[in-house]
Amino acid sequence: MILQAMDLKKYYGEGEAQVKALDGVSLSVYRGEFVSIVGTSGSGKSTLLHMLGGLDNPTSGRIIIDDKDISELKGDALCIFRRRKIGFVFQSFNLVPSLKVYDNIILPLELDGCKVDKDYIGSVVASLGIAGKLDTYPGKLSGGQQQRVAIARALATKPAILLADEPTGNLDSKTSQDVLGLLKTTGQKFKQTIVMITHDEEIAQMADRIVRIEDGRIV
Amino acid sequence: MFGNKTIERIEKMLDSAMDGTFSENDYDESKLSRLESKWKRYLHSSQLAKNQLDETKSNLETLIADISHQTKTPMANLKLYSELLGERMNNMPDVTDEDRKLLSQINAQMEKMDFLIMSLTKMSRLESNIIEVKPVNADVYSFVREITDSMQGSANKNGITLLFDDKDSDMSDNANKALFDTKWTREALSNIIDNAIKYSPEKSTITVSIIPYEMYVAISVRDEGMGIEEGEVARIFDRFYRSDENSDAEGVGLGLYLAREILKRENGYIKVKSQKNKGSEFILYLWRG
Repeated sequence: MILQAMDLKKYYGEGEAQVKALDGVSLSVYRGEFVSIVGTSGSGKSTLLHMLGGLDNPTSGRIIIDDKDISELKGDALCIFRRRKIGFVFQSFNLVPSLKVYDNIILPLELDGCKVDKDYIGSVVASLGIAGKLDTYPGKLSGGQQQRVAIARALATKPAILLADEPTGNLDSKTSQDVLGLLKTTGQKFKQTIVMITHDEEIAQMADRIVRIEDGRIV
Repeated sequence: MFGNKTIERIEKMLDSAMDGTFSENDYDESKLSRLESKWKRYLHSSQLAKNQLDETKSNLETLIADISHQTKTPMANLKLYSELLGERMNNMPDVTDEDRKLLSQINAQMEKMDFLIMSLTKMSRLESNIIEVKPVNADVYSFVREITDSMQGSANKNGITLLFDDKDSDMSDNANKALFDTKWTREALSNIIDNAIKYSPEKSTITVSIIPYEMYVAISVRDEGMGIEEGEVARIFDRFYRSDENSDAEGVGLGLYLAREILKRENGYIKVKSQKNKGSEFILYLWRG
């Protein structure tokens, strides 16, 4: 088991005005699994993903990633843990526009002072079909290509888990299929665990397992 | 606490362990040397465990291969004898319909057994990498054309129209080029078309088409059959999975498993869309490379 969330709760406000964004969510993800979490907007799925990624703290409950309880981590430690153990892919790509594609991909490694495993990065970019774009700036790329760069960046650190938040939210349906196909096949190839959030049933079908969330609870 | 040098040395030890080149440096009274010995011992025992696991796995694969190989001759003999029996029965005066029915049951079960053994052989060969999936750059259009042509007979026999819908196909130079192993992918695609034929009602149509993507060329197989229950969709690719609803139809539950494994090995994947009682669509995505 690579990720375990136990009885996660996130409440905003108090009394009458209290909003229960997450209301007792428990979830286990096994090594190498591709799980999608589906729910409508407001169901609490993004809140859940933020908790799993250590971007937000739960009101109560525990999250264990790669045998480490992340609620015990604070400040810098949490930040470093995130950089090493969690790869993020966002809806809006979040690439650094002033860095070339290659430098974007190895950025998390550089931040960590790691030696770049050139063979590994080479095979990741080849799988994702961006080997010819490494010298380009992200602004020159199509949306689908930018998201593929973001996937490569997320894979660069060989994270324990890859979290994707509506990775195709900004892409047309044809490009979405391309990007998701690559996410799935590169995940398999590099034995990467993936948790993906989406509101789209068809996209969710790409995963090995689908978890549905409604009103802050798993159904 | 530690000098930078020590840390660097330890990091090197780990790196060399990860690429399998670790050896002890020198033997002296230092703590680092002691650590190296311990590290070596640990690597050795975990390597041992891995070797044992590999060996068990390969024994299992050999066993499956042996079973499927050794059962071939008896199967062929059984078939021959039952054919001979059938011929002799034709010349016997007091053979009843009941007798003939029994013989045809024997034949049907034998067909099933034969099919099962064939599938197991394919699976074990694929899994033990005896036959490698070797993707080459090939044309998906002619590949699909050939397979749909060759399966017309079996579709017609079941009263089903098998249509290769290419009116929207993009015929420009590289539109239909992908990296795939034609032999194994034929196995995958014909398994899927075969399933569609098996589970479709008479007078219905199975439509095969090609959809080009930037990174993939997709082959879609759409039927008007019974569809798949939502909860079942994820499980239909499991080994030996059979739906309760069609447990009487022939098959052993390996076709889709094989198809998915084959596609996976050429960096592609399979997706299924289905609506209960409206039909299913299987889409095979072949990687362009």
